[in-house]
Amino acid sequence: MKKQGLWSLRLSTAALVLIPTAVGINYIGKLFAGLLKLPLWLDSIGTVLASILAGPIVGALSGAINNVIYGLTADPISFIYGITSLAIGLAAGILFYKGWISSWSKAIVAGLMIGLVAAIISTPLNIGFWGGQTGNVWGDALYATVLANTHATWLASFLDEIVVDLPDKLIVVLISFGIFKGLPKNVVQLYNTNNKVENLD
Amino acid sequence: MRSISLYTERNTVIHAMDPISKLFYILFALLIPIILPSIKVSIVCVVLGLIFLLVARVFKKTIPVFSFVFLILLTVIIIQGLFRPGNQTTLFHFGPFTLYKEGLMFAFGVAFRVINIVSAFMILILTTKPSDLVESLVRKGLSSKIGYVIISVFQIIPEMMSSMETITDAQRSRGMETEGNLQTRMKAFLPLLGPVILGSLANTKERAMALEVRGFNSKGPKTYLLEEKKYRYSKVVQWGILLGIACALAWRILV
Amino acid sequence: MKKIIVENLKYKYPLSEKLALNNVSFEIEQGEFIGVIGRNLSGKSTLCQAMVGLVPHFYKGAYGGKVIIDGLEVRNYSIADISLKVGIVFQNPFTQITGSKMTVYEEIAFGLENLGISRAEMINRIDFALNLLKIAPFKERSPFDLSGGQMQRMAIASIIAMKPEIIVLDEPTSQLDPEGSEEVFRAIQDLSKQGITVILAEHKMEKMAEFCNRILLLDDGKVVDFDVPEKVFSRDDLGEHGVNAPVYTRVCKALNKKKAGTNDYPVTLEEAVRVLGGMGL
Ligand SMILES: Nc1ncnc2c1ncn2[C@@H]1O[C@H](COP(=O)(O)OP(=O)(O)O)[C@@H](O)[C@H]1O
Ligand SMILES: [Mg+2]
Repeated sequence: MKKQGLWSLRLSTAALVLIPTAVGINYIGKLFAGLLKLPLWLDSIGTVLASILAGPIVGALSGAINNVIYGLTADPISFIYGITSLAIGLAAGILFYKGWISSWSKAIVAGLMIGLVAAIISTPLNIGFWGGQTGNVWGDALYATVLANTHATWLASFLDEIVVDLPDKLIVVLISFGIFKGLPKNVVQLYNTNNKVENLD
Repeated sequence: MRSISLYTERNTVIHAMDPISKLFYILFALLIPIILPSIKVSIVCVVLGLIFLLVARVFKKTIPVFSFVFLILLTVIIIQGLFRPGNQTTLFHFGPFTLYKEGLMFAFGVAFRVINIVSAFMILILTTKPSDLVESLVRKGLSSKIGYVIISVFQIIPEMMSSMETITDAQRSRGMETEGNLQTRMKAFLPLLGPVILGSLANTKERAMALEVRGFNSKGPKTYLLEEKKYRYSKVVQWGILLGIACALAWRILV
Repeated sequence: MKKIIVENLKYKYPLSEKLALNNVSFEIEQGEFIGVIGRNLSGKSTLCQAMVGLVPHFYKGAYGGKVIIDGLEVRNYSIADISLKVGIVFQNPFTQITGSKMTVYEEIAFGLENLGISRAEMINRIDFALNLLKIAPFKERSPFDLSGGQMQRMAIASIIAMKPEIIVLDEPTSQLDPEGSEEVFRAIQDLSKQGITVILAEHKMEKMAEFCNRILLLDDGKVVDFDVPEKVFSRDDLGEHGVNAPVYTRVCKALNKKKAGTNDYPVTLEEAVRVLGGMGL
């Protein structure tokens, strides 16, 4: 199977329809984390799957639209973190394209890298919006400790974000990769926009 | 069908306003405190936002969101008051901790900014039907396909949630343990996640085909069944807001 | 007039080794009611989708031969262009809902908005489709708040409003209860009476025998037969192709009762009664 162009902006209908489904999967992941009372978000499984299936553009759109919808339906602050979701989608799409999400061991590395990207993008947002916190109890406790001991707001804020993001994105990428491996070939094939009709005459 | 939107139907001036004007107001609420970073200006903005929410008679609906926000703001006030670098002026001591004025003032600044932005978004969210917002944006040039995607999420999520619930109920009625410790709960829900996700992905193919055969990728210009909603005073409100921002800038530069 | 011409159509899905359609050729006249039958995976859905250009444009894959609809060669036109001539209705009523409209009325407008039809014309067409499919009473309901049969009729109405001259229905009743199926079959008959060319893939052979002018029997992607129902259902090798004749045909076959003056068995209840009536039943 030939790989599709990484930055193809010509979105097929199948790829477009994947976006609402990806947002729905994000919701289900979030619901699931809530039901299990897990200390994680698990709210970007759909975004990562969309990136894997249809590339970074569709992944980024899924991430951004996810936060717009979440902002409109539950929590207005999520609009601001749309930028992080967008970056998660881009990163996952690029990593997959480069072959970094092709085995379980690589997926672990990719998950950590995506977690790092998320933390790097979120930290300035946290500083600008909350003065550095994230609203996550464990993260904020760490933030307070680091701030008290080092007086470095940026370091404290970054660590606050990354203690939650690294494990969360790691698990999200592993779950997404597991689902991707379980998908029938013709579902995966559907999003490949580069195919041409071959001639049998 | 259940709705996941926070839109609350009321018959008020704010509800009757152009969604685009409400977006302008969000821009205003975001920019003004940056242009004029004084706590007095922030307070004025917050009061303005709260007045609009009261006029729209949706203030009660903001309570769940605000209580969540206040909880975090409380931790911001404590943490910054105690540990903010640059803290000097002691306000009071309790036990081993000292609360400082600088951190506290900073935290109040954060609090007003957050409340201001959240109120501005709440005005939009609580008083605007998502479909009206998207339609206005599409008529202003947002890709109609992106518009389709956003609107369809509002219908697809409840659909996916209800299929999730159907399966959960089935598991329960089969005697599956859905409460208890983490392992029991994992066992109950993990097997549900796969089929719901796979099923929803398989549905995307059929939905994409159904859209295609209904001219979704048609090249010509689109028409609309519903007539364009007319909003009064849109231009005045929008120019007024821009003027306000321009004045704030002028103030900042000149004064 | 020839409405549809299919010539040596070959098609292979991407990543698939095997031809899903293998040298399929047939012609259909304006206004005919054509049935497509065959066992599971024989190629019925693929053929239906080839009529509207989903094969090959949506899937890509490998394609040979020609499908010409009303003068348009499917291969050279986009799905949106072809949708002006042919509409298609699928099995699952849920996944055909666009998910972007609040009411049945607006849902039916979706295709018309995409095609750029004027508002006045749109309203005319929607009202026509609502009445033809007998769903006008539900026009203000949410598309998701309908029974399966109503939903499927809404899907048909959404296509009919686009005024195609040909409508393809791929097992439109397979996910409906008996009542819903009955509603949909009645609706399809009404379409045919309007002069629309109908292509229906379906497993309910009694219905097929009753409605169809001709029946296309597929097996393994190849056309086995394309003839009037009496001829197709009287074949001795039907079972080998994974198809059962209508129950009336099977009874008459067992009793070796053919239609007077022909070599064919009856295919409908009426014909069977006529033939068997002579036995003093
Ligand atoms: N999306 C697809 N990708 C690959 N092969 C497919 C796809 N859809 C159908 N096929 C194959 O094409 C053949 C014909 O299938 P189909 O047209 O669905 O038959 P029917 O509708 O008669 O059950 C089968 O061999 C099937 O496995
Ligand atoms: Mg089929």
